[in-house]
Amino acid sequence: MISRRGLFVAAAGVGAAAVLASCGRLSGEQATAAAAPAEGPIFFGVSAPLSGSSAEYGKIWRTGFDLALDEINGAGGVKGRKIELLWEDTQSDQKQSVPVAQKFAGDNRVLAELGDFASPASMAASPIYEKAHLVQFGFTNSHPDFTKGGEYMWSTSTTQQDHAPELAELANSLGKKHAVYYINTDWGKTTWKLYEEHAKKAGFQIVHSEAVQADGADFRPSLIKGRDAGADVVVFIAYYQAAALLTQQAKNVGLGQAKIALPSSAYSPQYLALGGEATEGAQVIVRFHPGDPRPEVRDFVKKYQDRYGKQPDDFGAGAYDALKILAWAVG
Amino acid sequence: MLDTALAGLVNGSSYALLALGLSLIFGVANVINFAHASVFAVGAMSGWWFSVDLDWPLWAVLLGVTAVTGLLGLVINVIAVTPLAKAPPIAALLSTFAVSVVVDNGAQLVFGPETRRFPALLATDNLGLGGLRFGTLDVTILVVAIGLMLVLGWFLRASRYGRAIRAVAQDRDAAAQMGIPLARVQNLAFVIASVLGGVAGVLGGMYLNNISPTVGSTVGMSAFAAATLGGLGSLPGAVAGGLLLGVVEAFGVSWWGGNARTLITFAVLLIVLWVRPSGLFGKRAPLAAEPMTGTFFGAARTVRLRPWQVAVAAVAAYVVPAVALDDYTVQIGVQVVVYAILALSLTLVSGQAGQISLGQAAPLAIGAYTSALLTTATGLDFWLSLPISGVVAAVLSVVLVSPSWRLRGHYVSIATLATGLLVAAAAVNFDWLTNGPSGVSAIPPPTLFGASVSAPLAVYFLDLTILLVVLLLVVRLRRSTLGRIWSAVREDEVAARSSGIAVADYKSLAFGIGGFVAGIGGALFAQQYGYIDPSVFGISVSLLALTIVVLGGLNSPLGAVVGAIVLVGLPEALRMLQETRMLTYGLLLLAVVLFRPQGLMGKVAR
Repeated sequence: MISRRGLFVAAAGVGAAAVLASCGRLSGEQATAAAAPAEGPIFFGVSAPLSGSSAEYGKIWRTGFDLALDEINGAGGVKGRKIELLWEDTQSDQKQSVPVAQKFAGDNRVLAELGDFASPASMAASPIYEKAHLVQFGFTNSHPDFTKGGEYMWSTSTTQQDHAPELAELANSLGKKHAVYYINTDWGKTTWKLYEEHAKKAGFQIVHSEAVQADGADFRPSLIKGRDAGADVVVFIAYYQAAALLTQQAKNVGLGQAKIALPSSAYSPQYLALGGEATEGAQVIVRFHPGDPRPEVRDFVKKYQDRYGKQPDDFGAGAYDALKILAWAVG
Repeated sequence: MLDTALAGLVNGSSYALLALGLSLIFGVANVINFAHASVFAVGAMSGWWFSVDLDWPLWAVLLGVTAVTGLLGLVINVIAVTPLAKAPPIAALLSTFAVSVVVDNGAQLVFGPETRRFPALLATDNLGLGGLRFGTLDVTILVVAIGLMLVLGWFLRASRYGRAIRAVAQDRDAAAQMGIPLARVQNLAFVIASVLGGVAGVLGGMYLNNISPTVGSTVGMSAFAAATLGGLGSLPGAVAGGLLLGVVEAFGVSWWGGNARTLITFAVLLIVLWVRPSGLFGKRAPLAAEPMTGTFFGAARTVRLRPWQVAVAAVAAYVVPAVALDDYTVQIGVQVVVYAILALSLTLVSGQAGQISLGQAAPLAIGAYTSALLTTATGLDFWLSLPISGVVAAVLSVVLVSPSWRLRGHYVSIATLATGLLVAAAAVNFDWLTNGPSGVSAIPPPTLFGASVSAPLAVYFLDLTILLVVLLLVVRLRRSTLGRIWSAVREDEVAARSSGIAVADYKSLAFGIGGFVAGIGGALFAQQYGYIDPSVFGISVSLLALTIVVLGGLNSPLGAVVGAIVLVGLPEALRMLQETRMLTYGLLLLAVVLFRPQGLMGKVAR
C-alpha cells in the first residue's frame, strides 16, 4: 500500500519531470512559430465583441471590414493572395480576449490581429501578442498606455491631445458658460483634463463639470445641476449612445436652450436616430465626415450606403481604414 | 431641489415596479429571480417592436407587452423554478440566472444588439408647476406605478387567488394542507410579477429614451436593492423602497456626481441592512429560517475520490498540458485554475459555513489591486505581495461583511452582492489609490529562479501548484474541528449557538480564510493579465464563482475544480457556434442545474 504522502511526492516528481520536459515552452520567448504559409489566403485575426453589451460595435466593424475585404480581394488581393478574417467573439472581456490572443498566436496562418474593441480587453492580451511577435492593431484603443504595451501594439485612434482643445474652442464659439459632462472611463477623463487645461489657458468659463457613468441610464440629476449653474453650452464627452441619452434628457430638464457640443466619438447617424429632435442644432468635431469631398471618402460613403442602406459612422469608417492599412502593410 | 426629487421619483417608479415583482416572487416561491431584469428588457424591446414596427397605440402596446411578458413569466416558472421546488433555494437562484443568460442573448439574436430609440408615446415637458417642468409621461409613470401597487394590494386582499397567494407566502406547507393549489398559485405570481416587469420596461423605456436588449442589467441591480431596502416579500416595502432609492440616488448624484451612483445605491442598501436587517418594512425574519443551502447536504453526498485517483489527476494536470496541449488550451487552463482558486474560497464560505456569497469578486479585486499596486508602485517582489494580498483581502472581507452577521439566508447573499458591487464602485471612484477607471497597467510578471514566469505553460505550472496547495488546505480544514464547527453553523445556527459556539466569530473566520484564498487568486489574476481595471471585477465574476461551486457540488473541494473546468472551458469549447455561443452556454447551464442540482461531484444519498 502506497502512503498518501508517497503519492504526493511521486506526483511532485513527475511534475518536475514535466517541467524539465517542457523547458523550451517555459522560457517565454516563443520559438518563432513555423513560418506562415507562403501561398493561399492571408489571414488576419479579429478579436471583437459579437455578443454581450458591446456587440453592436462588433457588428459595425463587420460592415467596414466586409467592404474593405471586397475591395481588396476584388482587386486581386495582396500580391495575388486573398485576405481572409478569422473572427473570434470575446464580448470585449479580458477573460476571453486573452485565450483568443493565444489562439491567434498559436495559429501560424495569422499574420496580424485587429482589435479588441475596449482598451482593457486589448491590454490584457498585449503581452501575448508581443511575445508572439504578432501585430496587435487596436484601432479603437485610445488608452494612453495601450501602445506602450510593446513593440507590436499599434493604434490609429486619435489622441485626445489635438481633439480636446478643438472641442473646447467649438464649445466657446457656441456659448460662454460651459457645462461639461464626461463618461468616467480613462478616455473620458483624459479628454476632460485636456479640455480643462485648454479652457484655463484660453480663459473660458466652465460653470459645471461632472463625471457620469458610461453605462448610466438616468442623467437628469446631473443635468439639473448644469442648468442651475446657468450653462449656455453643454459638452458631452461620451460615445453616441450616452451622448444621445444626455442630449434628450438635457432637453427634459430644461437645458433645451443651451447649445450642444460633442467629440467625434458621438458622431454617428445613430446619435441622430437615438436622440431624435433633441439633437437638432448639436455641433460635433469630427475626424471622419461622410460629406468629406475627397474622392476616396465619397467613394467609400457611396459603397457603404449602397450596401447597408445607411451612412457610415466613425467606427465603420475606422474599421474600413484599419483593414486597408493592414493590407497595405503586408503588401 | 424639487425637480431633482421628481426625477428621482420617476426613475424610482421603474425600480418600484420591478421590485414589486421581485418581492412577490420571493414571497411565494422563496426565490431571488435573477431573470427579472431580463423580463424588463423583453418588455422594453417588445414594446418598441409593437409601437415602432407595428405602429400600435399605447394601450395596445401595453396589452401586447402584458401578453408577451406574462407568458415569459409562466415559462420561467414552469421550466426553471417549479422543478427545483424541493432543491435548496440556491439551485433555483442559479437556474433563474441561467434563464437570464438565455433570455438576454436570445433577445439579442431576435432584435439585434443595437441600441434604439424608444418613442416617448406621451409628452415629456408640457406641464409646469412653479417653475418646475415635467410631462404627462412623468405623471403617467408615477400614477401607473402607484396605481398598479394599489390594484395589486386590493387583489391580494380581496380576491380568492390573491388570498391564496398571501397564504402561500405566509406558510407554504400549511397552505398546501388547506388545499391551495400551490403550482397554480405560483404560476399566477410569476405571471403577475412578470407583467409588472414588462410594463416597467415600456414605461422605463419611454423615460430613458433609449433601449437595448441588455437594458435590464443596470436597472435590475437597483431593483434588487430597492426590494431588499423595503423588505423582501413586502409589497408596500417594494414600492417605498423603489421610490426612496430613486430619490436618494438623485440627490446623491446631485451632491457627489454621476459616477458615484452605484456607490450610493449599494452603500444605502448595506447601511439599511445593518441597521434593520429585514428591511424598512419587512417583518423580523423568524429565527429558524431555512438555511440557503437547505437540506442540501442531508440528501447529497460528495463523490469521494481515492487518494490514488487524486494523485493521478494531479500528475495528469501537470503532464498532459506540457506534453499534449498547445498554448491556447494551456491559456484556458490558466483561467480555469485561477477561477478554481476563487471557487475554492467559496467552498469554504458557502459550502462549509453555509453563507451564500454573491460578492466573492470583492476579495478577488482587493487581492488583485493590492498585488498590482505593490508590485508596480513600490517595486515589491511578487512573492512578497502574494501573502500580503491574501491578508489584506482577508481583513477587508471580514470588516466589510461583519455588520451582516445578524443576517440570514437570502439577506446574506444580498449583503454580499452589495459588498461586491461596492468594492468595484470604490475602485472606480477612489482615483488616488486605484487610478480609477484607467486601471493599473504594466504589472510585471513574477520571477522564479531569475526567470520570468510569463509563458502560458510557466504561468500554468505556477498557478496549478498554488491551486493544489489551496486544495489541500481546504480539504484539511474541512476535516478539522473548525470544519465541523462550520458545518454545525451551516446546518442549524440555533443548535450551534445553544452548544456554546460563537456563531458570528466562526462566520468571520470563514469569510476571513475565504477572503485570503480569493485574495491570493486575485494576485495571480493581476500578474496573469498584466493589467487590471474595475470593470474586471463585476457582478458576473461573483456569479460565475458561485455557479462553479454549485455546479461542482457545494460541499466538494474537487467539485470546485471540476466546475471551473466546465464553466470556464465551455464558452471556449463553444467557439464554433459564433453568435449563438452564449445562448447555448445559458441553455447548457440551465440543463445542468435542472438535472443535477446536487452538483456534478455530488451524489444523492439513499
